[in-house]
Amino acid sequence: MNDPTLIGPCADYEYDLVELQDGALAPERTQVVRRHLDACPRCRAWAREFATLDARLAAELPRLVLPADFEHRLQARLTALTRRASTDEQRAAADGEYERMVEWIRRGTRRHVLLDTVVWVAATVCALVAARELLGIAVQLLPAPQHGPARWVALGGLGAAVAVAALAWAARRGGHTLRVQP
Amino acid sequence: MDAGIDQHLAAGRHARAFDLVVPAYKDRVFRLACSILKERAAAEDATQETFVRVWKALPGFDGRAALGTWIYAIARNTCLMELRRRRPTVSFDDPDSAEAQHAAASIATGPAADPERDNLMRLLDTLPRNQQEAVRLFYLEDRSYEAVAEQLGMPLGTVKNLLHRARKRLMELARTDEVKAA
Repeated sequence: MNDPTLIGPCADYEYDLVELQDGALAPERTQVVRRHLDACPRCRAWAREFATLDARLAAELPRLVLPADFEHRLQARLTALTRRASTDEQRAAADGEYERMVEWIRRGTRRHVLLDTVVWVAATVCALVAARELLGIAVQLLPAPQHGPARWVALGGLGAAVAVAALAWAARRGGHTLRVQP
Repeated sequence: MDAGIDQHLAAGRHARAFDLVVPAYKDRVFRLACSILKERAAAEDATQETFVRVWKALPGFDGRAALGTWIYAIARNTCLMELRRRRPTVSFDDPDSAEAQHAAASIATGPAADPERDNLMRLLDTLPRNQQEAVRLFYLEDRSYEAVAEQLGMPLGTVKNLLHRARKRLMELARTDEVKAA
């Protein structure tokens, strides 16, 4: 038989002794281990020592329980989170609406600038045609270099200059309108 | 209980499911947090945080893992993040580390200032972290291997082995302590 002065159980029974103490050993194996314990002082001593440690751990480890208001506080936290999420959603929706409005204004402004340009070019052309008609008599008195194609080049240049000026003015006006701060 | 939760989840009634999840799991999540964090206040905060995360993630729960396994995984991650936040560079497995000293001090602040009890808790704090967690949880869960395995996300055999090694080492340490005291 085993020497009781040695520390530690028989290797074959060590895990079984632990499971026996934990109440997790199968019933058929329990009988075998109990028979061995009756016959082996070394395993008996070790099992006793293990049982003492087991009892101390069970008694001395702090048994903490959640406070009674745990669920109430959790619910309050979740409600606050939900409210914050809802506020964030509302803010996001308002921001989206604002962005859409700004974009709509930008598009409207671009359209307006385009129309302005067309109107100004048309007005310039009409003015040039009217000027040509009104100045028809005076044309006869103009010096020689302004007769023939040169006259039309001069009038075309004048018209282009007016159109460019109109475009520049309209673009400047449009750019100023576009400067919308979010 | 889980069947009712599963029914609500399957029907997309996440709020109703969550109302059942909290009472069903709060105590076990708290005990798991206690075994990892070893402080009541920190464990309580981690439990709250765990359920806030569960609440946020529940609509995305796909049922591939059991609900309990999923919740305990969230709880473990929450606790580990808390540990990392506290002392990011200190190893818990080092018994001489400042964290181990801190843990030993915090666990000793129980209701009774019993030197014997403090001594056992001090010895427990010298074990590697995974063994400490297994031992604490095992006794908090009324000696259930299965509960410890589920909550720590480990196979049953690993849990038995951890518990066995931890308690065997505690017996050796206690013996050494007694010899020193004598």
